[in-house]
Amino acid sequence: MHPALGVLAEAARRPNDHARRWKAKTGRKVVGSFPMHFPAEVVHASGAMPVVLQESDDPITVGGAGMYPFFCGYTRSVVDQASKGDFDYVDAIMFGDHCVQILSAADIVRNRLPETQVGFYQLIPSLRDKWSLENSMRALDRLIEGIEETLGVTITEDDLRASIREFNENRQLIRRLYELRRTGAIRLRASHMQHIVKSSMVMDKAEHNALLRQIVDSVEPGADTLGGGLPVYVSGHLCQAPKPAVLDMIEDCGAVIVDDDLYHGYRYISMDMDETGDPVKAIANWYLNRNFGAPCPTRLDPGIDWDGWLLKAVDACGAKGMIVLMAKFCEPHYFYYPRIRKAFQVADVPHLLIETEHEMLGLENMRTKVETFVEVARRRGTPQRIAS
Amino acid sequence: MNIAVADQQIKRANRLKATKLNNRMVTDYWDDLFKAKEEGRLVCWYEGVAINPILQAADIAWCHGEAMSALLAARNEEGPAQEAAEEFGYDRELCSYARTHIGCGVLTQNSTPESVSDLPRDSEVRKGLAARVPAPDMIISAYPFCSTGQQWDDMLYRQFGKKVPIFNISLPWIWGNKPSAKYMSGPEYREAVAFLVQQLRECITFIEGITGKKFDHDRLREIMGYIKRAAEIKVEAMRLCKAKPSPASFFEWTNSIAPVNFLPGGPDIVNYFEIKKAEIQERVDNGVGSAPVEKYRLFWDGIMNWNKIGWLADKFAGYDSCIVAGRYTHMGFWHETEVIDLDDPLDGMAQNYLTCPISISAPQMVDKIVEHCEYYELDGLILHGARTCRAFSYPQFLIAEGVGKRLGLPVAMFEGDMVDESFYKDELVNSRVEAMLEQIEARRARSM
Repeated sequence: MHPALGVLAEAARRPNDHARRWKAKTGRKVVGSFPMHFPAEVVHASGAMPVVLQESDDPITVGGAGMYPFFCGYTRSVVDQASKGDFDYVDAIMFGDHCVQILSAADIVRNRLPETQVGFYQLIPSLRDKWSLENSMRALDRLIEGIEETLGVTITEDDLRASIREFNENRQLIRRLYELRRTGAIRLRASHMQHIVKSSMVMDKAEHNALLRQIVDSVEPGADTLGGGLPVYVSGHLCQAPKPAVLDMIEDCGAVIVDDDLYHGYRYISMDMDETGDPVKAIANWYLNRNFGAPCPTRLDPGIDWDGWLLKAVDACGAKGMIVLMAKFCEPHYFYYPRIRKAFQVADVPHLLIETEHEMLGLENMRTKVETFVEVARRRGTPQRIAS
Repeated sequence: MNIAVADQQIKRANRLKATKLNNRMVTDYWDDLFKAKEEGRLVCWYEGVAINPILQAADIAWCHGEAMSALLAARNEEGPAQEAAEEFGYDRELCSYARTHIGCGVLTQNSTPESVSDLPRDSEVRKGLAARVPAPDMIISAYPFCSTGQQWDDMLYRQFGKKVPIFNISLPWIWGNKPSAKYMSGPEYREAVAFLVQQLRECITFIEGITGKKFDHDRLREIMGYIKRAAEIKVEAMRLCKAKPSPASFFEWTNSIAPVNFLPGGPDIVNYFEIKKAEIQERVDNGVGSAPVEKYRLFWDGIMNWNKIGWLADKFAGYDSCIVAGRYTHMGFWHETEVIDLDDPLDGMAQNYLTCPISISAPQMVDKIVEHCEYYELDGLILHGARTCRAFSYPQFLIAEGVGKRLGLPVAMFEGDMVDESFYKDELVNSRVEAMLEQIEARRARSM
């Protein structure tokens, strides 16, 4: 493992500890946010470090007294962490995503952290209405005002443009790693890719970019490192990162994850922002166009079909099948999955659904399913390419 | 000794006679909707807030998704629709309103060859009530707070092959970033109202595009006049339940949601609430309660178990309890009538939509519940965690804590659901309710 990757993996494994240490070292502020579409560039432009609050591996204990068990693992974990004081380093929490479970968790977190400003700046979930851009820009203006007021700073347009550039570089470097991985030029397990993306959500971007450059520069061209594994695509798991053990298990079963649309994966870095012109408009357009990078079931976009998009994505990366990781109680995913299943059945592309929970249960059971899936997909050979 | 268990007997709640009139109006409404296509009327499917006055003013028949699902559950006919949705692949942890309504969509739609193959094979299933809902000519999504509502409508849009025009109204959630944000006031609130009014105007333009007719704003004013008056009488009648014993219960108010949620705005709904209020007044005058014996006065938080209304009414009557008020019934459905200006009703309509029981976040919600508990002099809270309605269930721990701290009221929490009765566990409900009643008794004993 490249030494830089070790640093990123450590930040990804213990995001709260990492951010707490960063704050102590720099004396700067930290602003938490909820997934998946919050434009952290705005926080970065204020001089504070934005951190996407993560699901913890810890069992849910005291948080269970604040939320019913039929909420998704991410939201229950966030409430649990807030209840235990794990977010003591956070100076404020700002968010804009409209998912009923995220909003629910936020309201409970606000109650559990009475001394912390928890600000909600709702980003319109309907992306193609004629007022979507205007409304998004208004929400961003309010967000900027809220950060300025809460942190006692002024954010200029130049500050925003500088942050956009830094974030774009970060996304481009990670996308470069994705490209290298798709072609087999670099051997990065899916869990390594998750460390890279997840650490980007919780680290100082300049520091993260420097480490990414080291990794990209170390790649020797031409190596084929798929190693005979079955190339597969992984889809799903929105707000919460799949357990690295699940990704490792999939790859230990003879598959190689060559691409994904995971939030802790390609979804997070799929789109850049315009670096010229009005930065607020650029951020709003980035938000409204994110579905072109990776369709999101929490957004309304009548022209986009996640199922069809996935078929094309599987085709493009040369995968022989797709594994869907579905977090239990994720309603947006529940709604769209039946259409994905049907599309893959019609196209005769092998796919497997694995439902996950916060409390990781039955890894061996999952292994049996994945082994069978890999065997079936291998026998099938190249799927029919109706998408192309 | 367990006081509550010892006292529990089989008793029936005293039903209001007006309920029969309500049931007749509801039946007439659905019968009328089922004939809409034969009569050449356009049909709109919508979810969420009560935009039906706008549809009525445009002579469009309407089907409210939650109302349809509730109707099926109340008549124990939800099975075929839920089965159809399950067969399509929807997980049963998904909103049961959505599953049931999408199931209706699967059963009724016939717009694409692909979707015909999704119909359940059993032809008997196709004949049920769920399959009688006429297919939509348009879909309008107007869900407060709950993102599931918008996704549900998106699924319907896709179910019908993207051939039915859809209009999305995005309702801002009333969060309150600044200290200036109060219930129905402050710059954030006014900005949210203005945005919603803008979308309602655009919605009217969308409707004009489909009907090809100019929207009749005078008709909307007239309809809202009836709705406003009906809602005023409803609130007046509710307030009469401050009397002890309470002349009507939460269950009677759940039976009265239809007239202020989806029945046509007209003289009939005003007449209904006048009759209901008079009956309640008569009970007050004669000291007649909804529960034959009223020892405990309770608040119900959460959505209703639509397949168990009468059963639960009797169950609580058996505990000598009356559930006097509820978040679902008392904090929504045209509950803020004073802001409806009949000369320009859209602003007031928007304000009612934005202050419905799930559109305001927990701090304001808890304040309003405390107001109700104090006004009606309640002894405890029932918190019904509807398993698949996370929008309604999430704040219940905050409500329990908030109301508990401020008023010292005990609570009973249990899981159920709005239209999927498989989530309801009766023995668990018994033990939780009995424990709460014990707490109330203990509290009373301490204060003596």
